Amino acid sequence: MIRTPLRPLARVLEARAKGENPDAIERENLRLRHEEMRDRARSRAEGRLLVLGVLFVCAFTMVGARMGLLAASEPSEPRASAAGAEIEALRADIVDRQGRVLATNLETYSLYAQPPQMIDPEHAATELARIFPDLDRDRLIQDFTGTRKFLWIKRRLSPEQRQAVHDIGDPGLLFGPRDMRLYPNGRLAAHVLGGAGFGREGVHAAEVIGVAGVERQFDEQLRDPARASKPLELSLDLTIQAATEEVLLGGMRLLNAKGAAAVLMDVHTGEVISIASLPDFDPNDRPAPPTQGRPDDSPLFNRVVQGVYELGSTFKIFTVAQALELGMVTPDTIINTKSPMTWGRHRISDFRNYGPELTVSKVIEKSSNVGTARIAIEIGAERQRDFLGQLGLLETTKFEMVEARGGRPLLPPRWSELSTMTISYGHGISATPLHLAAAYATMVNGGTRVEPTLLKQDGPQFGARVISEKTSEQLRRMLRLTVSQGTASFGEVPGYAVGGKTGSADKPRIDGRGYETDKVLATFAATFPAHDPKYVLIVTLDEAVETSGSEPRRTAGWTAVPVAAEVIRRVAPLLGLRPEIEPAELTGITLTSN
Amino acid sequence: MSYLEYTVKTVPSGIRKVLYLNWPLLLLLIAVASVGFLMLYSVAGGSFSPWVEPQMKRFALGLVAMFIVALVPIWFWRNMAAVAYLVSLALLLMVEFFGVTGMGAQRWIDLGFMRLQPSELAKVTLVMFLAAYYDWLPMKKVSHPFWVAVPLFLIMLPTFLVLTQPDLGTALLLVFGGGGLMFVAGVHWGYFAAVIASGVGLVVAVFQSRGTSWQLLKDYQYRRIDTFLDPAQDPLNAGYHITQAKIALGSGGWTGRGFMQGTQSRLNFLPEKHTDFIFTTLAEEFGFIGGISLLGLYALIIVFCVASALSNKDRFASLLTLGVALTFFLYFAVNMSMVMGLAPVVGVPLPLVSYGGSAMLVLMAAFGLVQSAHIHKPR
Repeated sequence: MIRTPLRPLARVLEARAKGENPDAIERENLRLRHEEMRDRARSRAEGRLLVLGVLFVCAFTMVGARMGLLAASEPSEPRASAAGAEIEALRADIVDRQGRVLATNLETYSLYAQPPQMIDPEHAATELARIFPDLDRDRLIQDFTGTRKFLWIKRRLSPEQRQAVHDIGDPGLLFGPRDMRLYPNGRLAAHVLGGAGFGREGVHAAEVIGVAGVERQFDEQLRDPARASKPLELSLDLTIQAATEEVLLGGMRLLNAKGAAAVLMDVHTGEVISIASLPDFDPNDRPAPPTQGRPDDSPLFNRVVQGVYELGSTFKIFTVAQALELGMVTPDTIINTKSPMTWGRHRISDFRNYGPELTVSKVIEKSSNVGTARIAIEIGAERQRDFLGQLGLLETTKFEMVEARGGRPLLPPRWSELSTMTISYGHGISATPLHLAAAYATMVNGGTRVEPTLLKQDGPQFGARVISEKTSEQLRRMLRLTVSQGTASFGEVPGYAVGGKTGSADKPRIDGRGYETDKVLATFAATFPAHDPKYVLIVTLDEAVETSGSEPRRTAGWTAVPVAAEVIRRVAPLLGLRPEIEPAELTGITLTSN
Repeated sequence: MSYLEYTVKTVPSGIRKVLYLNWPLLLLLIAVASVGFLMLYSVAGGSFSPWVEPQMKRFALGLVAMFIVALVPIWFWRNMAAVAYLVSLALLLMVEFFGVTGMGAQRWIDLGFMRLQPSELAKVTLVMFLAAYYDWLPMKKVSHPFWVAVPLFLIMLPTFLVLTQPDLGTALLLVFGGGGLMFVAGVHWGYFAAVIASGVGLVVAVFQSRGTSWQLLKDYQYRRIDTFLDPAQDPLNAGYHITQAKIALGSGGWTGRGFMQGTQSRLNFLPEKHTDFIFTTLAEEFGFIGGISLLGLYALIIVFCVASALSNKDRFASLLTLGVALTFFLYFAVNMSMVMGLAPVVGVPLPLVSYGGSAMLVLMAAFGLVQSAHIHKPR
């Protein structure tokens, strides 16, 4: 900085010469210098303020711009990106037709460990091994003291176990909530419900996914959070299901059967009211699929839906129905039933010889293979296949269970005349009991096709007409007569006018050559009340034997029929049916004189 | 310039002082406080209790304090600056030993009728003392290393005490406020450049060191930084405030949902909705327009303060006015940035709007100083 001297000599001398006070010069210069300094300070301060002002403006602009940006943004709910947080554990309940719970969720906890946070791994491991005897203490210590940062210990804990683990008090032992699928009725309707397991697992939740039955069939719907509050309504009725299973189990034990199946279906709506397959399992603890033995003997196997069997004489009604519908016969037409009947190298014979001829009605009542075969020949292969196709017996049902896709009927590779004859009485074609139930519903409901369903329906199905109202009426009468005086006489339940048709099919040998001589699949296809059928009930017993007589009896009349009768006796009141006195039949008068 | 240089005639005296008040500034303060009352009324679900009524009483008290402070000549306050600074330091020390603990930090002293937060007081007394210091210091010594070290020490002392409470927000405000005043006072820019450069260097070093053997911060501190940079990572814990606040701002849109119609704040999604995060309520109910209007009011307050400072030839008065304006600016800038996710969440209230006693009273008293400077400026 160049300073101007405060008292420049030249000016002082000049002032003295003029007689002025030279001190004024000093004062003047001092004032100027002060002003100069102040101006400089001022301009610097103003410069600084300018910089600060620019910063202010920047801050204001930034805040304002950000505000605008946020105001323009769409507000969106945050979604945690932590692993597993997006897992939806919510799963809708499953209820029966009355709203009773079949499957629900229970909040339980899983146990996991974070070893780095453990205080005393050894103590924790010892205690854990004490609480869970299946855990190995040494292994746990190894895990806890190693390099692992996280490990699962138990997938599910009971509240008592959780408390016990809590009492260990180690901060490295942590609980994660787990929604567990609970089937409060235990084994009831096990096959229908199937079961559920954990899918993707996170610390805070685990995905529950259906592994079988309706749980798998409707998995997506049940897991849909939007529909979680609305339970899945099945057509099943819990009390009727329970009665059916109980009677079926008793019958299976009494008759030493290795398996049994039953299905009760509404003939108009197609709703399946109860469906049972034995042996069964507990869906709360679904067993692993069997690794040995025949899969169709496993408890997991659903005999009603998956099991394709030759259902024997129960098929005769279809042959007769078609003949009636085609106008070839009336119920009173005489049919040649001379047994045995030979066709090429093959012989067809009846269980007993029923004499040389029977009326069509008696063919059903007595279950004559020969009589049915003769009618079938008249019908022919083409028309027979067509008719069975209309009844839905040649393809899988649309039943709402994943297992239903496995129940594809087995058909003869070539639909020959011989096949036509054997199929007429239920051999050489295999279908599931569910197929049979649907086809019988068509027989007795007035003749329209019904598709079996597991979901509650609002009203009857109006399927395609297969047989006429009149034919259906005639068939009902025959079925009723079969029970009142034919092969199914044990099927009589006072007041409920049961009608039905038995079927005792020799089981095919496992090696595929011919049939077993002492193993029978006994089926009874029943409908009630016969004059105005509301339900069909199919009961199938696998290798049942009735041993009260001098020799073992295996025909359905002795096995499946009494079991079915007991089922009807138990469930008919539950279904709201009142016992009625049957309208007297005109033919009954003549028959009593026989 | 000493007060002896003032000629008595140019300075108003007695009741005539009221006429020389900075009236626009006063009106702006009342407007901002009214916005606060409105928002607190809405947050309480349309009720004067529990927040609006005490807030109004405090504002009234604050106005009285402001008038008293304003009528006292500015040179008295200059002479009192050192005393005020020492008193606030003593209070901070008292908090350390006798303070009331709340929200995980020791910040309050119970005075019986109200709980005083000395850290709020310290913000103003620091600015006051620094202004007095630079008024006393001859201009040419301003950039001398020793005379720079002295104010640095004056800033660091209360900052350290506040940090131990712990209260990061206030500590930052003290540092920035004091530093800003030093800048305005004319300390050589080289010092600031050095501080900024080393600050940037430190930040870079902190991030570079992550995961290496010479890591400078603890892991959890890094995680907090991560959360600040991307709150969506952890929306339920550390990122909660920010995420919810952003939702509120987004749902307000341009024109807002209408008075008392905010869902985000009314449904208790927002924590601290009546204190630090009250801006979200405003933004949701009155939208972008409401938010920018409040920002405008704040900007006008700053403009009037700066204008008053520029027209004031007294160095202390001018520096004090600027210092108060700077502190006020830091308050709302930090709060708004924090709410909008531009800055990490530190506990800084929205000045004059957030519910809270100490900040309100101290700010009103500070504006009293500004008014006093305005009234008593040499004419």
